[in-house]
Amino acid sequence: MNRKTSTAKIWTIISHEYITKVKSKGFIISTILGPLILLALIAIPIVVTMLSMGESEKKIAIVDISGKDIGKKLVSIDTAKYILSNSSLSELRQQLLNREIDGYFFIPEDITTRSKITIYTRGGGGIAFIAKVEKNLSKIIRHERFTEAGLDPKLIDIADKGIEVQTEKLTEEGSKKDYAEVFAGVGYFLGFMIYMMMFMYGSLVMRAVIEEKANRIIEVIASSAKPFEIMFGKVVGIGAVGLTQVIVWVILSLGILSLVGPIASMFAPSPETLTAGMPMDGKEAAFMQNFEIPEISIWLILGFIFYFLSGYFIYSTLFAAVGSAVDQEADAQQLMTPITLPIIIPILFIGSVISNPDGALAVVLSLIPFFSPILMIVRVAATDVPLWQILLSVFLMVSTFLGCLWLAAKIYRTGILMYGKKPTFKDIFKWLKLAK
Amino acid sequence: MFALRIEGIKKSFGEYTAVKNVSFSVEKGKVYGLLGPNGAGKTTTIRMITNILIPDEGNIYIFDEPAGPIHQNIIGYLPEERGLYKKLKVIEQLVYFAQLKGMNSVDAKKKAKEWLNKLDAGSWENKKIQELSKGMQQKVQFISTILHEPEILILDEPFSGFDPINTELLKKIILDLKDMGKTIILSTHIMEQAEQLCDDICLINKGSIVLQGSIRDVKSTYGRDLIIIEFDGDDSFINDFSNLKFINRTKNRIEFRFSDGQFFVNDFLQKAMQSVQLYKFELSEPSLNEIFIDTVTKQEQNQ
Repeated sequence: MNRKTSTAKIWTIISHEYITKVKSKGFIISTILGPLILLALIAIPIVVTMLSMGESEKKIAIVDISGKDIGKKLVSIDTAKYILSNSSLSELRQQLLNREIDGYFFIPEDITTRSKITIYTRGGGGIAFIAKVEKNLSKIIRHERFTEAGLDPKLIDIADKGIEVQTEKLTEEGSKKDYAEVFAGVGYFLGFMIYMMMFMYGSLVMRAVIEEKANRIIEVIASSAKPFEIMFGKVVGIGAVGLTQVIVWVILSLGILSLVGPIASMFAPSPETLTAGMPMDGKEAAFMQNFEIPEISIWLILGFIFYFLSGYFIYSTLFAAVGSAVDQEADAQQLMTPITLPIIIPILFIGSVISNPDGALAVVLSLIPFFSPILMIVRVAATDVPLWQILLSVFLMVSTFLGCLWLAAKIYRTGILMYGKKPTFKDIFKWLKLAK
Repeated sequence: MFALRIEGIKKSFGEYTAVKNVSFSVEKGKVYGLLGPNGAGKTTTIRMITNILIPDEGNIYIFDEPAGPIHQNIIGYLPEERGLYKKLKVIEQLVYFAQLKGMNSVDAKKKAKEWLNKLDAGSWENKKIQELSKGMQQKVQFISTILHEPEILILDEPFSGFDPINTELLKKIILDLKDMGKTIILSTHIMEQAEQLCDDICLINKGSIVLQGSIRDVKSTYGRDLIIIEFDGDDSFINDFSNLKFINRTKNRIEFRFSDGQFFVNDFLQKAMQSVQLYKFELSEPSLNEIFIDTVTKQEQNQ
């Protein structure tokens, strides 16, 4: 007699669930598409910024008759943009209309006493481009005016100096650049990812259970393995699919992030030209910061995987129980409410947890096992969560999972054989008492 | 040797008792008919044999061992409500079910191909279940039931959804398996099939066994008192007899019994020969169908 053990059967079920799901088109597409969407989310703002910076590609001819080398100084700020010209007015006009240049202006002798000069363009071109010319020119003119007024060059330098604010984070290993805002964003992103994936994979488990019940496959399977083995194998198998997807996403995303930085900085003007003498405006500063991808620690990645998996396990067993109770997906709506609510509630608190990740509210909420998957990862990303809190949440979640598994297995055992009536919570409570 | 021995099993769901008191034994290598009307408790009984449900009381022995999860591997169960994964390929489906019964995938694949070829279904191997017709799906389901070479086969309405040609093919396979020493439990509503295939039967109604034994014994207790005639002509002569109990009456064929238990065969024959052209006259045993209806209705009246 073939005495195959329970573990062997669970493995058969796990590998069946895993292989059929991983081979499906839906999985392959979403696994590849995920990081591409992330890439698009990062790339679009960069491209947009670069396109707007592309204004510097516009060529502006300068006819300098001031005799004060103002034109030359302008050219030295941005050689790609400004060119000195000796052409006559009609020649410049022709060049402008032929699109050899995008604008021209004269620097008259009395430039330092004037308050206005005129740039001739073909029209359009955007405010950014005019603002830039104005900013570059006024800096030089101001410098010139100070000099004419007989100011000490040292004083001029002092007047020219702006101030830039940088933050540094103090840790035991010494000071590091602080990316508080970036990490808050990362936390939000990871929390939301876990939210979506718990929903996605939880309902995948539910649908798989309903499929077996609705197509009457369950009777054959139940005559081959114990209900607990069937449910547990399904939950673990589909969880492994989720883990596979997360790991592929992490690897692809890290790969993309490590490529995006260098590639983007190849297109961007070098930091020297940007910082040489002129203060950057807000947009440029933000843009530059985006290029520095903050180091994402291995702990954050491991935390993400742990909180996704533990959250998935807690909720998917409950989803399996709901699936076993109904004959078709449409009947599941009402029974799902007590499961979906605790998944959604933490989303409402993400904002306040991010703004004060060490506050009492954040600590308490993130320790509630049903909220931990989302809120704890947000905190792990946004702040240094004390180790005892992490360990406590791990303990609470594992206990909650075992409790949910026990409860769900009882409902599942009775539910899979019940057909016909759409069950109410009262019915399910009765099943719990029936199952010894 | 008994392949299956059931001793006083009982199963209730809350208030409702599906199986009250069922005992029977099935000898190894026999075909056993589990008969009864809808809702009699057949499926619940089968679910207890297959270890899907655990009886509240009583014992089930499989080859003299108390039945447990381990015996699921030597049972092949074809439920009345068929079900396969729509999106799986035929071969994947068969291998998965066989693996769940403890086979390794290599053997399962080899066996599956053999059976598909045997049932003229070799070309479906890589088709998805949803691409198959109902009848084809039934064949795949049947193969999945016997693929792991179970010692005990439980077939619930095995012929539903099959055309006459495939029904015959299936009957032949069932009898072949019997010849190989496999034990078969057949649950069906179609009494003609039970009569053809079963050695022993039991009739369950309302959770209890009401009739049990070999087909021979069951029938002989009813006696040879059924009269079947076939004829051509006006059947009004029948109305001269007031003591007839009709089992089945059509224009040219009548099955009946004398309701007072006495035999007036000669009188009847004389009258019939005068009135109509008689083709057939048969003194017969009751059919299993009749016994079934008779027993169930009697029990209903008694309550």
